[in-house]
Amino acid sequence: MSSATKASRIGEELWKTRVDKVNAELVTLTYGTIVAQLCQDYDGNYHEVNKQLEKMGYNIGMRLIEDFLAKSNVGRCANFRETADMISKVGFRIFLNIAPTVTNWTSDNNQFSLIFDENPLADFVELPDDGRAQDELWFSNILCGVLRGALEMVQMQIEAHFVSDVLRGDDTTEMRVSLVRYIEDEMPPDEE
Amino acid sequence: MVVYSFYIFDRHAECIYKRRWLPRPVSTVGSKSSRPTSEASAPGLPATLGQSARTTDDDAKLIFGTVFSLRNMARKLGGEDDNFVTYRTSQYKLHYYETPTNIKFVMLTDLKSPSMRVALQQIYINLYVEYVVKNPLSPVEHPGGIGVNNELFEESLEQFVTRVLS
Amino acid sequence: MSYYFTILSPTDVPLFNIAFGTSKSGGDGIARFRFPDTAQYMNQFIIHSSLDVVEEAQWMNGNMYLKHIDTYPPASAYISAFLTPSGARFLLLHQPPQLPSNSAGAGGSMSGSLLLGSGGSSSRASASSVAANPTSPQTEEAVRQFMTEVYENYVKTVMSPFYRQGMEIKSSVFRGRVTAAGRKWL
Repeated sequence: MSSATKASRIGEELWKTRVDKVNAELVTLTYGTIVAQLCQDYDGNYHEVNKQLEKMGYNIGMRLIEDFLAKSNVGRCANFRETADMISKVGFRIFLNIAPTVTNWTSDNNQFSLIFDENPLADFVELPDDGRAQDELWFSNILCGVLRGALEMVQMQIEAHFVSDVLRGDDTTEMRVSLVRYIEDEMPPDEE
Repeated sequence: MVVYSFYIFDRHAECIYKRRWLPRPVSTVGSKSSRPTSEASAPGLPATLGQSARTTDDDAKLIFGTVFSLRNMARKLGGEDDNFVTYRTSQYKLHYYETPTNIKFVMLTDLKSPSMRVALQQIYINLYVEYVVKNPLSPVEHPGGIGVNNELFEESLEQFVTRVLS
Repeated sequence: MSYYFTILSPTDVPLFNIAFGTSKSGGDGIARFRFPDTAQYMNQFIIHSSLDVVEEAQWMNGNMYLKHIDTYPPASAYISAFLTPSGARFLLLHQPPQLPSNSAGAGGSMSGSLLLGSGGSSSRASASSVAANPTSPQTEEAVRQFMTEVYENYVKTVMSPFYRQGMEIKSSVFRGRVTAAGRKWL
């Protein structure tokens, strides 16, 4: 059984049995309000908004991973490919009920893309019509932070960013994820 | 079965929670623990191991060093996914559970106790994640034990140990 | 048939305007009002003048769709209204094409002298079209379908986090969808 089908099965099972459901519009509107408020607070400085969203996501990811592990009871992944399947088929499945496609691997297996066919965070959203948001704002950038925070907790330093978004008029919504390095165990501070 | 003590270490190798239960009142020895836990009047460990001068902080460091080395050794011999579950001496049994996020749960019990691996996992899933991780007011990391020492977690842990385990 | 569609906020601020023509019966979807020179402001004027009737009619029953509520004979303009629960008003002005003078169509009762000067090309979308008679049950039904579809899209549009209540709807997506709804039903 491939790691992808195995992950699909785990995700499916967890979604049915272990996950508390919440109204989708509530999530969409809550997230949308946060982004809109950030845009207002930072006076339309979308680079800063992207950064703040990433940071919020990072803090969420560091907690979310514990919930993920507690629910799924899965162990360490053998390689980054397995990690990618876990993210898509289990992580996104249980938290957003979507399973973005994992694709575009580099030959060294350290970089892949997640293609989002649907994105519950961005339902109803139309970017501000100010001529800049379409080019600068990554509306769902919080997801990049979530991945970075979650994977850091399981000893993977990664870099994630969106490369396209249907909200901007692109054909797909694509996030690029690259493994930077595996994090070594920390030693206790030396006190001799 | 008697539970002597319980420790949580975070991924930065810091002891973020420790707690002792006393099987019976013994002679009183001062403890320098700053933790708002039940003040130890005597080390939970049998007296042969616990010298009176040693503080709970020192205990924690010793225990971390032990499980850290033991774990690395287990991995070297048994592969990356291997880990040790428990070890015993003639005086006590140490139970160990580590999450993929490198949080280490350690419990010291008497020799009669069965494997506590599942119990430690339950503490992680039902107590730590629910009351510490999901508490929005507690910080993400817990230097000095901030956020772990909240009432809900401590009381549930107390209940778990006294009611479920004994 | 030519149409002018407006959304008014509960406080009568215009949120959205669009003019379009019928696409039924070979219509090309381009609005050809009878008085092209003055249509732009006259349409708005006519629509706003029907607001009093809307306010009366809205208490008559619990329906959101109020059907045809007002007529402005000099321009042969018919107004249909739809209310959202939040109090926004959708108003549709429809103006049948100018028919040959002997026509028995609904617009025929207007005095001909007032109606001179509008483009003759609109007569293509003539009596056979469902919408040619602005008060027929078929027209009411078509307008209801149109209003309902616009309402669905309106809800989605105002759900966008970047839309603030009471702001003009500038979304090109919404405009596109209203146009599509018009093409589909009217």
